[in-house]
Amino acid sequence: MLSRRFDQVRPFATLGIVLLVWALLPLAVKVFTRRTLFEIQAPLTVAPSRVEDLQTFWANRLASKDDLLVAGRETAGLIAEYAYGVQQNEQLKAEILRLENLLRLPPQPEYRFEAARVARRDFSAWWQRMVIRKGENHGIIVGAPVVYVGGVVGRVSEVYRTTSIVDLITSPTVRLAATVEGDTRPISYQGGINPSFSAASGLVEFVPLDVHATPQQPRRLVTSSLGGVFPAGLTVGEITSLEMGPDGLFKSGEVRLDPRLGELTEVTVLVPLNRDDL
Amino acid sequence: MRPPDLRWTLAAVANLLLLWLTGLANHHLASAWFPFRDHFTGHLYLGGLFVTFSALRLDSRNGWIAVTVTGLLADAMTPVPFGTSVVLLGLAYAALLHGRQRFPRDEPLFGTVVALFTNLFLFLALSFFLVGANPSPARAWVRLLTDLVLSQLAIALVTPWFLALQSRGFELVRVHPETGRRVARADY
Repeated sequence: MLSRRFDQVRPFATLGIVLLVWALLPLAVKVFTRRTLFEIQAPLTVAPSRVEDLQTFWANRLASKDDLLVAGRETAGLIAEYAYGVQQNEQLKAEILRLENLLRLPPQPEYRFEAARVARRDFSAWWQRMVIRKGENHGIIVGAPVVYVGGVVGRVSEVYRTTSIVDLITSPTVRLAATVEGDTRPISYQGGINPSFSAASGLVEFVPLDVHATPQQPRRLVTSSLGGVFPAGLTVGEITSLEMGPDGLFKSGEVRLDPRLGELTEVTVLVPLNRDDL
Repeated sequence: MRPPDLRWTLAAVANLLLLWLTGLANHHLASAWFPFRDHFTGHLYLGGLFVTFSALRLDSRNGWIAVTVTGLLADAMTPVPFGTSVVLLGLAYAALLHGRQRFPRDEPLFGTVVALFTNLFLFLALSFFLVGANPSPARAWVRLLTDLVLSQLAIALVTPWFLALQSRGFELVRVHPETGRRVARADY
């Protein structure tokens, strides 16, 4: 009778033992196991994007010479445009350095650009993140900002040997300091509104009372260098609505994010030249 | 010398395959086409399938190992405290193991029903655990509901195939999943 009763609760007794063993396991063992199991799965995660690259390569190989000539002409135009941009950039950098020296300001953090392909996107209501095909081997570090042509993508949250995980600004886990374009007062941004049938959006808090925004006249939200890892001035999104906060001292509202964030295939990681800048 | 009992490996490898396929589907669902809409994004969660075969067909020891390994593999890829899936899958597995003798566990239809209910439990448990971090939980639940419907539809479609795949795997190695005895193909 007793044995039969024990048989009935045996699954739960086993579960209890499993949980007890798990709880008593040292943290180092858990961290090591997690990293190992991620690395085991990394080749599987990356494989489809490699196959896609191969498909693109062979599709491009089959392009006609006329198509290549047109593409070459367009690229030459772009290179000329960028060369001019680089010259202007150098002048502006020199000007910033001069002003920093003149006003004895601390230097702005400097970054190295590391372009990376997106291997996998994982966008749920719980989290919003992507796996990129660069990791420790390429000098990527945890906390490094990730950008694309439209502005901020997010920040690196985990780094493995050849892959990294990026938490997107659409994720509820991402908070950053931002400012309204043309204003220097910091406001708080948090991602997290990810409806199924429309583009993702985020929330802003601690917006000064004199800032106004409507869907017809949105205000651009850019990163602030105050207390964050991002360089100042990168686009986060557009504030489309603001209303008085519960304390009556600040406003809070919604930020429309770029729908291209859901289709990214390539991003740039800003790796700080001085690790203390993160 | 007795050969090592690797039944749990077969179940865990099948789960790893499903984990990979789900990840691939989610990659494409991140920005997908949907009729009459400009934008659609969805997410599949098929955790219920990770325990169904182990709970209905495998013996207790191999089932526990397969479920624990699968939970760890899933946790390594997701931003939840390491061990969350082990606990949730373990709980679902223990509950199914407790009552499995009373059910027609060889039936694919019954397997599908079990997978659907298990998935519902796991999805809701994970949602209650994670939704607190969202700045707008009410709106997050609307999205979660869509994802749940999508996941349950996927479970209903995939379960018969997935159970057959695992059964076929055991058939190929000619091992009975519950007893571990070698069997002839006709006896299976």
